[in-house]
Amino acid sequence: MSNQAILETEGLCKYWGGLKALDNISLKFYEGQLHGVVGPNGAGKSTLLNLLCGHYKPTSGRIIHKGEAIDAIKPWAFARRGIGRSFQKTNIYPKSTCLENCCVAVQRLMGGTFNIFSSRYSQKMLDEIATNALEKVGLLHRRDHIAAQISYGEQRQLEIAMVLATSPGVLLLDEPMAGMGHEESLLIITLLQSLKKEYCIVLVEHDMDAVFELSDQLTVMVDGQHLITGSVDEVRDDARVKEAYLGQGDEVY
Amino acid sequence: MLFNKRTERLFIWIFFPLALMMPLFLEQNTFYVSKLTTVMIFSLFVMSLDYLVGRCGLITLGHAMFYGLGGYIFVMIAPEYEAVNFWLYTLYICSIAAAIALLIGLLVLRTSGIYMIMITLAFAQMAFYYFSDSIEFGGNDGVFIYVKPETSLFGLSLFDLDNPIHFYYLCLLSLFNTMAFFKIIMRSRFGRVMDAIHENPDRTVALGYNVFFFKLISYTIASALGAYAGYLFTLQYGFVNPSMLSWTTSGTALVMSILGGMGSIYGAILGTLVYEGLHYSLEHLTEHWLLFMGALIILMVMVFKDGIAGYLEKLLEKRS
Repeated sequence: MSNQAILETEGLCKYWGGLKALDNISLKFYEGQLHGVVGPNGAGKSTLLNLLCGHYKPTSGRIIHKGEAIDAIKPWAFARRGIGRSFQKTNIYPKSTCLENCCVAVQRLMGGTFNIFSSRYSQKMLDEIATNALEKVGLLHRRDHIAAQISYGEQRQLEIAMVLATSPGVLLLDEPMAGMGHEESLLIITLLQSLKKEYCIVLVEHDMDAVFELSDQLTVMVDGQHLITGSVDEVRDDARVKEAYLGQGDEVY
Repeated sequence: MLFNKRTERLFIWIFFPLALMMPLFLEQNTFYVSKLTTVMIFSLFVMSLDYLVGRCGLITLGHAMFYGLGGYIFVMIAPEYEAVNFWLYTLYICSIAAAIALLIGLLVLRTSGIYMIMITLAFAQMAFYYFSDSIEFGGNDGVFIYVKPETSLFGLSLFDLDNPIHFYYLCLLSLFNTMAFFKIIMRSRFGRVMDAIHENPDRTVALGYNVFFFKLISYTIASALGAYAGYLFTLQYGFVNPSMLSWTTSGTALVMSILGGMGSIYGAILGTLVYEGLHYSLEHLTEHWLLFMGALIILMVMVFKDGIAGYLEKLLEKRS
């Protein structure tokens, strides 16, 4: 385990009026690890992710990225620091081709956005990097297809490709396997397995098998509270987790 | 290629040669020449609005503010009885309008959707009432312009603005340049980001773009060009009055833009031509022309869902 956390939260809270969506969460995310976050519905997993990418501002607490507190900066500045995210609901540019989708992402790093005399249709370098990103997620054969016309699973892959194209250090993935068939899920699992060597990945996911298989660290959350963080085996054997999931019997998951 | 759609190229090859030759047929009748000039000027204005609404998704009902400001800024800064340089004053007026747009944009662009429509309208109404109540600027009657600018550039004077034919060509040139300019922007990487913002702002933020900044730039550019159109209009008729700033001007431009096909840029010319054509022909037929005009526009919007340009593209573009 590396000594320095790349991304870290300190006493992170998010209240919606009186509702404590997230209460005092302190977590550390390390490079080269996949950190799974699980919990029943409404546990605050997505809220956590939305805070980590700057989409929401925390009520209190700090987010520290590479040793700097970043909770006060603008959402787009999070992405500039290399914190890329995917959304729970597919969030792509449906009317554009897959390549174009990735080009928007690559372009930010390449610059030239304000050189209005260079055409966006003749950018070899840009296209190359974007194509590489597509290749990484296995979407090369869909390069010139309109994003709205590819299958749902492929759209999720495309979204990951877009995040990868921004060359992030941290990947925040919000249920990348939601609504996917078994085979498509397997594809994503293989993909994440290869990606987690290079990136720090925070994975929020309902698919328990997938999370158990992929996670190096696993955090369980219940009702906005942090329950336990540890290796997969530690979490699996923890009595409180069993209670949270199987527990009182008044809720069915 | 700059004009990447077949329909667009076809339109340009038909419209601009025709427009170039038009004064040859109409030479005796300066009424039509000046009518067409006005259509060109307004097309330019609609085009700048079309870019905002159709390309950037910034729906504004206050664009006429800049149209009127173009004229009023000229009245404010130009000496009354002295011919100034047209190009220089174009630069001045566009810069001042851009500065104003920058300031207003900082406030307006914090909102979106219906709120943005309301707040742009509020700003435009403020400008409207300011000018229609001001003694200095002639209140409701506006201001007369006694001397038109001269157009020498490096000692070369190509246009005589008092000559309607010359003025017609100046407006045609401006229209073409504006269209090419918007197409260049849309083709550039900046245009790609603007498209992305229009299609999916959240995603674009998540990719690390400062969406507000991009919107502000687009708003400023379009407003400066809107002011340029107002400046041309002022020069054509030799006066400014507050009706240029009124919200009906914005509304009309919006209708033209929708009619032509939002976001297609060249559709702005189509929309303006069709609207003004209808206006002109119906006006001569009946006193209640607005009634028929309204009905026709509703019908057209229903038939051409993506405007006239969208309809033409459906007919002419190869299906992929």
